[in-house]
Amino acid sequence: MRSLSQLTDFYYKDLFPTLQELENRRKRVKLRVILSGVVLLIVDLMVFSFFRDNLDWLLFLNIAVGSFLYKFITHDYTQEFKERVIEPLIHFIDKDLRYMEDMHISESKFINSRLFTSTPDKIEGNDYIAGMIDGVKIELSDMHAQKRDKDSKGRSSWRTIFRGLFIITEFNKNFSGKTVVLPDSAQNSFGDLIGNWLQSHNINRDELIKMDDPEFEREFVVYGSDQIEARYILSHSLMKRLLSFKKKSGHKVYISFVYNNVYIAIEYGKDLFEPSVFNTLLDYKVAMDYLQTLHLAVSIRQELNIDQKIWSRV
Amino acid sequence: MSISLVVVIILVIILVLMYNSLIFKKNQVENIFGSVDTVLKKRYNLIPNLVSSVQEYMKHEKSILENITQLRSKANRADLSDEQKIELDAKVSSALRSIMIAVENYPNLKANENVMQLQRSLNEIEEQISAARRAYNQAVTDYNNAIEMFPTNLMANAMHYHSKKVFEIQDSQRKSPNVKELFEK
Repeated sequence: MRSLSQLTDFYYKDLFPTLQELENRRKRVKLRVILSGVVLLIVDLMVFSFFRDNLDWLLFLNIAVGSFLYKFITHDYTQEFKERVIEPLIHFIDKDLRYMEDMHISESKFINSRLFTSTPDKIEGNDYIAGMIDGVKIELSDMHAQKRDKDSKGRSSWRTIFRGLFIITEFNKNFSGKTVVLPDSAQNSFGDLIGNWLQSHNINRDELIKMDDPEFEREFVVYGSDQIEARYILSHSLMKRLLSFKKKSGHKVYISFVYNNVYIAIEYGKDLFEPSVFNTLLDYKVAMDYLQTLHLAVSIRQELNIDQKIWSRV
Repeated sequence: MSISLVVVIILVIILVLMYNSLIFKKNQVENIFGSVDTVLKKRYNLIPNLVSSVQEYMKHEKSILENITQLRSKANRADLSDEQKIELDAKVSSALRSIMIAVENYPNLKANENVMQLQRSLNEIEEQISAARRAYNQAVTDYNNAIEMFPTNLMANAMHYHSKKVFEIQDSQRKSPNVKELFEK
């Protein structure tokens, strides 16, 4: 497995000529985006009098046209960035990893993870990476799962169930049940007593499993089909590692262990691995954003120390 | 409906809920102890095999081997209470640890395929036992809390419930065993 510094070296050394070429292209695309923005504004001013009573509509129209135009103008640049930067980075990590920019993890796998109780009505995603790392299967992609809500008047709106990085890999211990580890929102907002009561009466989930690590209990809540199996999976060392993984990622982390697989969902709340025309790819912070996320995702097995096989899985 | 009747109904509901929750907690402890017992037995079953594989080499550690064989025959007795089983488990764990440490002194033994296989099996079972112990301890803690805290303690007293003992988990066991480390020594 490549280290983060090896990835950074590769980015700034091997990919540098590509980055420079893309930088020139980015400047031209940025100019086009700004010009289209100005044109849109002028058109707005011209039609403003017609929409004086319906400003909501004007705003809605602007967002729709604006995002369509942005996507249209930046489409080629985005594609080139993925083909010439993200794909080589992934192959540098491991040449056998496959990368498909328009694909995502399937809906059935998302549902099988049991991480989210509401069934999505729409799943979008991209940047699908799959293959074997050190002989163990792993797949990951960007995901955006949404649910259609209807109000009493029949108007529908879309609610995000999850948006971020979704990772699936094999676990190193055999187990037959389901164990789900979720961010602990009830205990954090309502305190220990009421929070605990609410958690133990969650009808959408299996049995509440109280873990014997106070820090882990503060950050996460565990539900499972088997009290002993959950603790067999969540050993003291794995709990410590999950805590530090959560801190490192800086986002909400959902983990489930279902039929020998581990499902990890990291809630970034945005589409990852997308270039912004307003930021240069040569900027260290921008680069690190891509590299760190990518490294965090593919090195998940090492991070959680689940790359070491237990005898029963040999 | 008079207020007193409402109060009585609410009181009865509270009593029933308290009673049921105590029964649930007691059953949970018993259920999980059943699973603890199963994995402990799995480990006891490995002991004769282990002793016969190592006794040829371990001439100087005869007393440890005799000790563990005795412990095993004690553990197989049917009339043991849960407390006695917990105590025996602690003794067996420490005896097994001393055998494993002693194995390190015999390179031939360490390389023996049979011993290596046994070590791996013991390691796996050790992880299962650790999980079962932790589950049991949590169930006992919930149960003990219920019978010591007000107002459930009043009912628990009436039901003759007594607090139960937990497994002591040593610090060395908090760290999950590392198979790789064992072989690299």
